[in-house]
Amino acid sequence: MSRNEFDPQILSRFAANRTSRRRFIGGGAAAAAALAMGGSFLAACSSDNKSATGGTSTHEGPASGTLRISNWPLYMADGFVADFQKATGITVDYKEDFNDPEQWFAKVKEPLSRKQDIGADLAVMPTFLMVRLHNLGWLNDISDASLPNKKNLRPDLLEASADPGRKFSAPYMSGLVGVAYNRSATGRDITKIEDLWDPAFKGRVSLFSDVQDGLGMIMLSQGNSIDKPTTETVNKAIDLVREQKDKGQIRRFTGNDYASDLAAGNIAVAQAYSGDVVQLQADNPDLKFVVPESGATTFVDNMVIPYTTQNQKAAEAWINYVYDRANYARLVAFVHGVPVLSDMTDELNKVDPEAAKNPWINPSKDVLDKSKGWGPLTDEQSKQYGDAYAAVTGG
Amino acid sequence: MAGAATSNRQRSKLAPYLMILPALAYLGIFFVVPFFSLARTSLSSSGGSVYLPTLEFNWDFGNYLEAFSHYQDQIIRTFVYALVATVLCVLLAFPLAYVIAFKAGRYKNLILGLVILPFFVTFLIRTIAWKTILADDGWVVGALGSVGLLPSEGRLLSTSWAVIGGLTYNWIIFMILPLYVSLEKIDPRLMEASKDLYSTNRRSFTKVILPLSMPGVLAGSLLVFIPASGDFINADYLGSTQTTMIGNVIQKQFLVVKDYPAAAALSMVLMLIILVGVLLYTRALGTEDLV
Repeated sequence: MSRNEFDPQILSRFAANRTSRRRFIGGGAAAAAALAMGGSFLAACSSDNKSATGGTSTHEGPASGTLRISNWPLYMADGFVADFQKATGITVDYKEDFNDPEQWFAKVKEPLSRKQDIGADLAVMPTFLMVRLHNLGWLNDISDASLPNKKNLRPDLLEASADPGRKFSAPYMSGLVGVAYNRSATGRDITKIEDLWDPAFKGRVSLFSDVQDGLGMIMLSQGNSIDKPTTETVNKAIDLVREQKDKGQIRRFTGNDYASDLAAGNIAVAQAYSGDVVQLQADNPDLKFVVPESGATTFVDNMVIPYTTQNQKAAEAWINYVYDRANYARLVAFVHGVPVLSDMTDELNKVDPEAAKNPWINPSKDVLDKSKGWGPLTDEQSKQYGDAYAAVTGG
Repeated sequence: MAGAATSNRQRSKLAPYLMILPALAYLGIFFVVPFFSLARTSLSSSGGSVYLPTLEFNWDFGNYLEAFSHYQDQIIRTFVYALVATVLCVLLAFPLAYVIAFKAGRYKNLILGLVILPFFVTFLIRTIAWKTILADDGWVVGALGSVGLLPSEGRLLSTSWAVIGGLTYNWIIFMILPLYVSLEKIDPRLMEASKDLYSTNRRSFTKVILPLSMPGVLAGSLLVFIPASGDFINADYLGSTQTTMIGNVIQKQFLVVKDYPAAAALSMVLMLIILVGVLLYTRALGTEDLV
């Protein structure tokens, strides 16, 4: 077994952990819920200044009242919210209503632009979206004084170029974006991006529709940097994707919903999130996750406090609670992401020794060296790249 | 006395208007107002900041030209799919509705109940179930492959046929019910009369049953074709990157790219084409007796 594959012993434990399939079932389930529930789902996201929750944030006294959290589906450990409520006396209204960043933004941008409540005091989102909201002036700063546990944050994330010093954002979970394949469908190992274009896999490849997760590893394979992307390098990757799409090589552009097709054997090779594949392997040992030779990309999901929050102090108390290593170990053991706190091995060993040994939860230096994060983009760049890629993925 | 009679008469004259008032108000608020808003957006151009663009209404017909030139493939594909699905619905639903109306006897209600039963399950779940049935490694593909009936791609899922099949399956109930209603209304004595006049079974069908069931065919076709044209779920779950319909493009333009004028123009184009198609169709088949 290569270093880039998962330990089968860990898999059996994850098999029991079906509810943590966040990116896998989560995407589809939330989309289904959104469609099925229609009005009520939208109502949850609509502006409602009267929502009978928590008091307006004050700077006096301890945090209290109600805290409304919007997070991705299945991105939470069992009992975590209840324990937070017990420890702090804060009531949590926890919603798994964050599924697709762009669609979430499409829903909240009108109320937020009018400074109307969006039904969330704290939300978890990828870096690019948090930067966008910050640039629009829609995020509150997070007070360092309320966050003694901030010292536990990984130094590289604390000084990330997207938010140096982490003034308005608090990393929640990180992970790798690489390639997953169904060994019984491919009949061979996949090691590099070029393998995705093998005519043998025609119509059985899926790519992410998200610009950063989808194009990042392709740009790396073309010898380009994603730390300082340019229109030229992004377009070069888009051109390649368009060419492969027109050939019929690419079956679907996906969000988090690639995994069911991969497990079912409809997709042979997919761009994938590391944590998902761990969980899928429990049911299907033929599935493998690799960091392509040219490198993988990383993602970071962050907790942010919208400027319409009705309970800033409770939101900060939540972040501080998450940043306690013992508490955070429970989250990691459930979600299987790469921790955003440093030195997690001891605490993980207490909660889940197998997870502590997992190469994807504690990635090796080799893997980390090959994994790159996107550099900061201006709004214009983000929009331009997003539209250009959407023209390929949407039509 | 006379005064009371007049006011009664006036009231009864007003009654129909009062009765349609709620429906009119509903249409006004939820159709007319959004329609004008959509039409206005489709003729606007966006400017200002990247993520909070301001829409300026300036009769920008360029949005329509762009919609046509960029997405003509998807527009054509959409109407081909919807048309094929509608024809398939007629072919599948007619014999079924005929049997229910004329041959089912005391099982009529049972069969009608069975027809409606699957629709108690949500649309989305039924569509996703087809992914499992049509999976590349599934038994359907295996069975068809072994008798050499697979499409050229060597699979069923993520092909045009899967999308058309999904559309047919999801909307067929809207064909069966109107067809059943119009067939059920046909007086059986008309068929007896045609037999008395030495008509063959086939001639009885083409000269009596078919013309009298046309209102059902017409209503069913509209009820299937219109929603199938705007559908994006089937193409999303059962299709591939080669089978996107105009609904998928509109969804992406509204929610991901957030180019509202382009999305609105595409929606207007979709509506206009459906409207023209429906007008031509109803002219050809006649509309005096819808259902």
